Amino acid sequence: MSSSQFDESVVRETDVEVEAPVESGSDVAWERTGSEHEIDQPSSPSSSGYAGEGGSTSATSASSLIEIQRDEIEEQMRIHIDEISISDSNASWIPGKRHQDEDDASISWRKRKKHFFILSNSGKPIYSRYGDEHKLAGFSATLQAIISFVENGGDSVKLVRAGKHQVVFLVKGPIYLVCISSTEEPYESLKGQLELIYGQMLVILTRSVNKCFEKNPKFDMTPLLGGTDTIFSSLIHSFSWNPATFLHAYTCLPLSYATRQAAGAVLQDIADSGVLFATLMCRHKVISLVGAQKASLHPDDMLLLANFVMSSESFRTSESFSPVCLPRYNPSAFLYAYIHYFDADTYLMLLTTNSDAFYHLKDCRIRIEMVLLKSNVLSEVQRSLLDGGMHVEDLPPIPHSGPSHLGQHIPPSDSPERFKEANHDTGGPAGLWHFIYRSIYLDQYVSSEFSSSISTRQQQKRLYRAYQKLFASMHDKGIGPHKTQFRRDENYVLLCWVTQDFELYAAFDPLADKALAIKTCNRVCQWIKDVENEIFLLGASPFSW
Amino acid sequence: MPSRRRTLLKVIILGDSGVGKTSLMNQYVNKKFSNQYKATIGADFLTKEVQFEDRLFTLQIWDTAGQERFQSLGVAFYRGADCCVLVYDVNSMKSFENLNNWREEFLIQANPSDPENFPFVVIGNKIDIDGGNSRVVSEKKARAWCASKGNIPYYETSAKEGINVEEAFQCIAKNALKSGEEEELYLPDTIDVGNSNQQRATGCEC
Ligand SMILES: Nc1nc2c(ncn2[C@@H]2O[C@H](COP(=O)(O)OP(=O)(O)OP(=O)(O)O)[C@@H](O)[C@H]2O)c(=O)[nH]1
Ligand SMILES: [Mg+2]
Repeated sequence: MSSSQFDESVVRETDVEVEAPVESGSDVAWERTGSEHEIDQPSSPSSSGYAGEGGSTSATSASSLIEIQRDEIEEQMRIHIDEISISDSNASWIPGKRHQDEDDASISWRKRKKHFFILSNSGKPIYSRYGDEHKLAGFSATLQAIISFVENGGDSVKLVRAGKHQVVFLVKGPIYLVCISSTEEPYESLKGQLELIYGQMLVILTRSVNKCFEKNPKFDMTPLLGGTDTIFSSLIHSFSWNPATFLHAYTCLPLSYATRQAAGAVLQDIADSGVLFATLMCRHKVISLVGAQKASLHPDDMLLLANFVMSSESFRTSESFSPVCLPRYNPSAFLYAYIHYFDADTYLMLLTTNSDAFYHLKDCRIRIEMVLLKSNVLSEVQRSLLDGGMHVEDLPPIPHSGPSHLGQHIPPSDSPERFKEANHDTGGPAGLWHFIYRSIYLDQYVSSEFSSSISTRQQQKRLYRAYQKLFASMHDKGIGPHKTQFRRDENYVLLCWVTQDFELYAAFDPLADKALAIKTCNRVCQWIKDVENEIFLLGASPFSW
Repeated sequence: MPSRRRTLLKVIILGDSGVGKTSLMNQYVNKKFSNQYKATIGADFLTKEVQFEDRLFTLQIWDTAGQERFQSLGVAFYRGADCCVLVYDVNSMKSFENLNNWREEFLIQANPSDPENFPFVVIGNKIDIDGGNSRVVSEKKARAWCASKGNIPYYETSAKEGINVEEAFQCIAKNALKSGEEEELYLPDTIDVGNSNQQRATGCEC
C-alpha cells in the first residue's frame, strides 16, 4: 500500500475537474477499429426511403458506392433503433412495417433500456435478453448484415450511436455479440459487459463450439444453451450491482485473519492432493481460495464461475459435478467442478482436470466440512453476513494508533447505542457516503456498505454507473493516465485517486467540502491498511493474470 | 459388516431434458415436488437408504442433465453403475424415441461386462397431466419396446402425485443389487469405482 498522501495541491495540479456531466450529442456516429475517431453525421429523421437523401449527397465523392451502402445500412439500423425508442422520438419514428408479427415490434420490447444479443455469423439468434430468440430472427439478421458488411470492408464495427442509443458490437469468431443501450454507460463499459457475456458462454460450452460453425455455418446453437437463460440474465443483472464486473477484481467476505487462515489451510491440503482450484465462497464473495502450483485464477473467471453456480438452482439441492470452462485459464477445455452448498450462502467449488474425480472430491469436501465445522468458520461467515463490511459511519479519525479491527467501533447491532452513534442521515464524516478500494497487487477490491443516503436499489445502481464512468475515464488510454479526478454534480461529489498500488473511488454528499473530502479519502486509505488482514485474502499464492 | 459392494449401489438416471428425472428423484428421496423447472447442470447426486430383504443398502443416485450439451459427459458419470433408469415423458413421443439413443449411449460409455443383461428400468412419467388425455405414447407401445430390449421392467409414474415412484425405485434397487453381486464375481476391475471412501489411503488417480 502506498504511503503517498492525497492532498488538495496534488489534485489541483493533475486532476480532471468536472462540475457537470457532459451530455453526449444525439448524432449518429460510427466508430471503427481501424480509425479511433468518430464520424459525426447529422441525423436525418426525414429520410425514410433508405439509400435516399443520404446516399445522393455522397454520390459525387470517390467512395460513393461504399458511402451509399453504408447509408443504407445505417438507415436500416436507424429504423430498428427507432423502433426500439418509439417512446421518446416521434419525429424520426418509422413504423415497423417489416416486423409486424415479431417481438421486436412490441412496445414493451422496444422500451427496454438495455438489450443484449448473441447471434451467429449466419444471423441465427443465440440469445436475447428480452423476447424470444426465434421471434427476433429478423432483427438478428439485420444486425448480422451490418456486422458482416463492415467486416468485408476490412474493418469491424465497434460502436454506432443513434439518438439516445448506443449500439456496441463485439465479434468473436463466428459469434457476434451486440448491446443496444440507452443507459449512457461508456463504450468501454458496454464492451466489457459483452466480453463477460461471451466469457459466460465459454464457461458453459468452451471455445470448441466454434468448430461446429466451421463444419456447418448454419449450425443452430440455441439447443446447446438449453436451460441457461437464468445464468445470462443474472450476469446481466450483476452489471448494475456488482462492481467486480468493471473492476476486474474480486472481493472477500470480511473475516478475522484466524478464521480465514483456518479455511485456507484446509483448502491448501486439498489442493496438494490434485485439485486445481479450491474455493470457498459466500455468495459472490471469497472466503478463501487456493490454486495448485502455478495455477492462477483470473478475477473475471471467478466472477463468471460464481455467477454460473449461484444462478443455477440445481446446485443448491444436492452436491453436483459439472463440466465448466474457465475462459482466462483455458478457453478450449473443460475442467470439472464439484459443487456443494454448506448452507444457503456458503458453497465450495473444487476444480479438477479429471472427469473421474467425483468421489475423490466428495471425500475432500467431507474433510473440508469437518474442519470448517470444528473451527467455526461457517458460523463466523454467517456472523459476517449479518454485520456487513466496512460502514462509512465507522471511519476512524486519522491520528490513529494501535491495530484496528473491523467493526470495533460497532456496538452489538441489537444495542440502541448503535443508532445513537451512527448518524444515518449524513453517512460518514465529511459527508462520505460510500467508497470502493481496489488493490492492484492483490486483484481484490473492497466496497463499503451503502450509507442510508444511498439505500434504494435505484440509487445504488446509479452510483455504480457513476463509478463505472469514472473507472472508464481513468483507464482511457487515449487521454493518458489520470492520477485523480474530482467530479461534482447534482447527485454526488465523486473522488477518484489512482496510484500504482491502488485505486480509490469515493462518493460524498453533493455539498461536501472538497478539501475535507480529500482528507477523508486519506483516512479511508489508512483505515483499509489497518484492517487489511480482515478484508483481503493475503499471503496466498499470487493470482496473477 | 457386509462388503461395500453390497451396501452401495450406483444408479444413473437418464432421459431427455424436462421429462422429470430430477422430480422423480426428489419425490423418491425427499417426498417433494415443485412445478418450477430447474435444469440440472452436469449431474446431481443424492443418496437414500433402502431396505431390501432385511438388509440396508445405500442407493447412490446420479441425476444427470438431459440437456444436449452434457451428452458427451457420459463416461464420467456412467462408469460403475449398478442400474440405469431410462425416463421418458408419456406426453412426448420424441422423449420416448430417444430412449433407444440413451440406452445405446449408456452401453457404449459405461461398457458393462455383460451388456445383454445389464439391468435397466424404464419409467414413463407425467401420467397425471391432463388426466392422461394428452398422452401420446401408449403403455402397450412402451412395453413392447421394453420387451424387445431384453424384458426391461417398466413403470408408469407421476412424480407430481407420487404415483408408483416408490415401487419403481424398489425395483431399481432390487435390480441394482442383483447386478452388484454379479459384477463382484465377474468384473473385479470396476470395483474401485464408487468406493473411494475406503481407498483414500492408497490415493486417488486424479
Ligand atoms: N405434471 C407433472 N409435471 C412433472 C412431473 N414430473 C416433472 N414434472 C415437471 O416437468 C418439469 C421438468 O422436470 P425436471 O424433473 O426438472 O426434468 P429433468 O428431466 O430433470 O430435466 P433436466 O434436468 O433438464 O434433464 C418441471 O417443471 C416439473 O415440475 C409429473 O409427474 N407430472
Ligand atoms: Mg434434472
